[in-house]
Amino acid sequence: MIAENTQTQMRKGILEYCVLLIISKGEIYASDIIAELKKAKLLVVEGTLYPLLTRLKNNGLLSYNWVESTSGPPRKYYLLTAEGREILNKLDTTWVELSYAIETSKQLQS
Amino acid sequence: MKKTLNINIGNSIILIEEDAYELLTAYLNEVKFHFSKSADHFEIVTDIENRIAEMFREMLTLQQKQVIQITDVEAVIAQMGSVKDFESADDEQEETIFDTQHGVKKLYRDTDQAYIAGVCSGLSHYCEVDVKWFRVLFLVSAFIGGSGILGYLIMWILIPRAVTRSQRMYMKGQAVNLHGFIRNFEEELSNNKLIDRSRGFFVEIIDAIGRSLRTLGRTFSKVLAGFIILFGSLFFLGLLIALSIFFGFWDANPTEYFPLSMVNGEYISTMILAFFISLAVPLIALVLFAIRVAFNTKAINRTVSFALLVIWLGGIMVSIFYITKVFSEFKEEAEVTQVKELKKYDSYVLTVDRSRFFSREDSVRYRISPDKYRGRVILNDMDGPFNVPRNVTLNIEKSNNDKVILTQNYRSQGKDFEVALSHAQNIHYDFSQKDSLLNFSPALQLNKNTQWRDQKVELTLKVPIGVKLYINEEMNRFTYNYDYWSCEGVEGNKSWVMTEEGLKCATP
Repeated sequence: MIAENTQTQMRKGILEYCVLLIISKGEIYASDIIAELKKAKLLVVEGTLYPLLTRLKNNGLLSYNWVESTSGPPRKYYLLTAEGREILNKLDTTWVELSYAIETSKQLQS
Repeated sequence: MKKTLNINIGNSIILIEEDAYELLTAYLNEVKFHFSKSADHFEIVTDIENRIAEMFREMLTLQQKQVIQITDVEAVIAQMGSVKDFESADDEQEETIFDTQHGVKKLYRDTDQAYIAGVCSGLSHYCEVDVKWFRVLFLVSAFIGGSGILGYLIMWILIPRAVTRSQRMYMKGQAVNLHGFIRNFEEELSNNKLIDRSRGFFVEIIDAIGRSLRTLGRTFSKVLAGFIILFGSLFFLGLLIALSIFFGFWDANPTEYFPLSMVNGEYISTMILAFFISLAVPLIALVLFAIRVAFNTKAINRTVSFALLVIWLGGIMVSIFYITKVFSEFKEEAEVTQVKELKKYDSYVLTVDRSRFFSREDSVRYRISPDKYRGRVILNDMDGPFNVPRNVTLNIEKSNNDKVILTQNYRSQGKDFEVALSHAQNIHYDFSQKDSLLNFSPALQLNKNTQWRDQKVELTLKVPIGVKLYINEEMNRFTYNYDYWSCEGVEGNKSWVMTEEGLKCATP
C-alpha cells in the first residue's frame, strides 16, 4: 500500500513534468501528447490528461489555440506560456537535483 | 437487427446502436460525476466528449461503416480510461463513497419475468418482496369482486414498461453507472436461458394475441377504442348527471326511496360521492387508455395518473367503510307481537285494502284536509324500482279453540337489539274488520325519514274448523301456506274452508 502510494506520487509529479516537456517542443494536440507519453512508457489513459491540462492552463502555464482540423470540428492545440517556460526551467533544475540525490543515495548504499 | 440512435456529441452527429448508446451514457455520467467536484468540470468533460467524438469519427472512416457499436465504445473507454484510473491519478484522493450497489429505484413493469404484463414482478423489484406474494395477492383479490383484475389493469396502464437497459436497472435499483451497467449486462447473460423459460405460457399467448391483432390491422383496435371513448364518455357523463341530480334534488330527500333508505342521512352524500369516485375513476382510466390506443398519445402524465389511482383507492376505501357501516345496522333482529281477537262469523271475506290511514301529522305534511278525504287516500303499491321489497305476509292456520285470532308480528333489524326493537315498534300496519270483511293493507308504513331496516309484518290468522273464507285474488300475493290457484271457483273471490288438515278448497 505504501509502495503503491509512493509510486503514484512519484509518477504524478513526473507526469506533470513530462507533459510540460512535451508541450515545450511546440504546439501539440492532446492525443499526440498521449502518444508521446506512451512512447516514453509513462502509461496513462487519456482521461487523466484532460484534468491535468485544464489545471495547468488555469494556473497560467499553458494556453491553447483552436486549430482547424481536416475532419470534424477544430481541435485544441496546447502551447507553453512564458510563465510555463519559467516553471519548466525551475523543474529542470529540480530534476537535476533529484536525480543527483538518487544517484548519490544509491552509491552510498553499494 | 438493432435499434440505432442519432446523438450529438462534441458537435458531431453520430449514429450509434442502442446498447452502445447506453454504455456510453453510463460512462459519461460516471465521468461527469467524478469531475463534478472540480471547478473546471465543464471544460474537462467537454474536452473528453470532443475527443470521444473524434475517436468515433476516426473509427467510422477507418472501418468504413455507418454505426458505432458497443465494441467501439468499449475501445474508446479503454483508451480514455475508467473513473478508477482517474482516481489513482487524482490529487485529492478522497475516499469517495461510490455506491455502485444501490441507486435510485423506479417503478417499472418487468416484462422479462411477466406472466401477464409484468406488474407483479415490477412491484416485487420495487418493494423487494418475492414476486409470488404479489401474484397471490392479485389472484385472491380478483375473486373479491374482481377488484384485483381492475387494480391490475389500472397498474398496467399507469406503470411504464422497462424497455431500455437503464430502465431495467432503475427498476432493480442498480446504480446506473459503468460498474452497475457491466454487472447488469453480465447478470442478464448468465440468466438468459432462465428468463426465457420463466416468461411463461401466458406471455406467449399475450404475444400471439398481440401479433395477430396487429396483423388484423390497427384499424380494428382503433375503431374499438373510438367506441370505448364514445360510450365511456357518455357513461361518465351519465354518472355525472346522476350525481348532480342526486345533490340537486337533495330537498326531495332521496333517502325516502328504497335503496337509499337503508342509509343514514348524515353520511349518504359522502357515501354517494365515494361510490361515484370508485366508478368514475376506472371509467376515466378506461377512456384514457382508449385514447392512448386510438391516437398513440398519452393523454395525461404519470403524476396525474398516480393522483387518480390514489383518489380511486380512497374512494374504494370510503365506500367499503360505509358499506360495512350500513351492514352493521342490520346486525340484530327484534320483534313485537300483537294478538287480536276478531269478532266471530261463520264466513269471512279477505281483501286487500289499498287505502291508507293518515295520521294527523301525515295530513298536515301532505296538505290533505282530513275532512275532505275522511283521513283516507288511495295509494298505488305497484312494484317499482324504488319500492321496498314485499314486507307483508299472511299465514292462515287452524285455530286450536273456537276463537278467531289475528297475530300481528312486527319485525325489524338494527345495529343492536334496542334499536331493532324501536324500529319494530314504529311499524304502522293497517288492518280493519268491518263485520265479516277483513281488510289487509298491502304494505306497512314507516315514519318519515325512517331508514329501511328490513321491517316486516308477519300476520297469522287462526280460524276454527268449519269457518268459510272468501279470499280475494289480490290476497294471493301475501299468502304462502296454501296454493290459491289449486282451487277452482269463480273469478275474484274463491271460497275456502278450514278443515282438520288445514285450509281446503270449498267445493260448492
